[in-house]
Amino acid sequence: MTTLAQAQDTTTGIPSAKLGMWLFLASEVMFFTGLIGAYIVLRAGMSSWPHLGEELSIPAAAINTFLLLTSSMTMAMGVAAVHRADVKKLRLFLALTILLGSAFLGVKGWEYSVKFAHGHFPGTAIFWDCYFMLTGFHGLHVLGGVIANLWILRLTLGQDFSERRGHLVEISGLYWHFVDLVWIFLFPLLYLI
Amino acid sequence: MTPAQQPSYLKYFAIWGWLVALLVAGTLSPLLPFSRRGVILFILLIALVKAALVSLFYMHLKFEKIVPLWVVAVFPFFLITLAILVLLLGSVFR
Repeated sequence: MTTLAQAQDTTTGIPSAKLGMWLFLASEVMFFTGLIGAYIVLRAGMSSWPHLGEELSIPAAAINTFLLLTSSMTMAMGVAAVHRADVKKLRLFLALTILLGSAFLGVKGWEYSVKFAHGHFPGTAIFWDCYFMLTGFHGLHVLGGVIANLWILRLTLGQDFSERRGHLVEISGLYWHFVDLVWIFLFPLLYLI
Repeated sequence: MTPAQQPSYLKYFAIWGWLVALLVAGTLSPLLPFSRRGVILFILLIALVKAALVSLFYMHLKFEKIVPLWVVAVFPFFLITLAILVLLLGSVFR
């Protein structure tokens, strides 16, 4: 039995590491549900709210959505590369995922700098509290995913990565796709509705 | 998911094409001649379809046959969808 097979061996029928990640993601769903729920309740209780595109840049957010959707594709291709024991392609797809995630953070950083330059900070108004809370926590999650993928990319430089630690790519991939899923809901809620 | 069930790179690319098309449709939907409620429902529907595509194909839920994993994976997403829909519809249709 290979080390990868051992890592995926379990009595429940689900690889332990994978089950652990799914349970973690379930707790993350509850975390973001609380934040999004607070946003909707606060917004519904306000008599006025900025109109569409008045305060936030829809093109910048659409570009960021495009970057995250594309990074999800490259991450999924990275997982496929592991299953094919193709470490060269895995490195390529991981590097692309890291690059796209970093670009997302770069665009978000630019958005933040514009808001700060206009005097919009957390605490300025309910709208900005919600915006910085939701995008800030999401951005931290993206940063965590980028760091995790960087660590895995470094591991791929070692011997027999696919056999020994290939399951890490699948686990990291689940987390990365979750971060994408959260943004799929945040983008319309914050920018389009 | 078994290695035999692993989708091809082309399949992942095709899903990405659908996701980008839905992104464009969702982003341009406020320009549609619908009522505000209609636009909100349309945007939410597009977000749900995008989330389903990512979870089914990129997170490989479509290929998972293990019931406990479906329960752990899908139930929280069902709850968040329900919570957001109840809150949003409550505020939109009040």
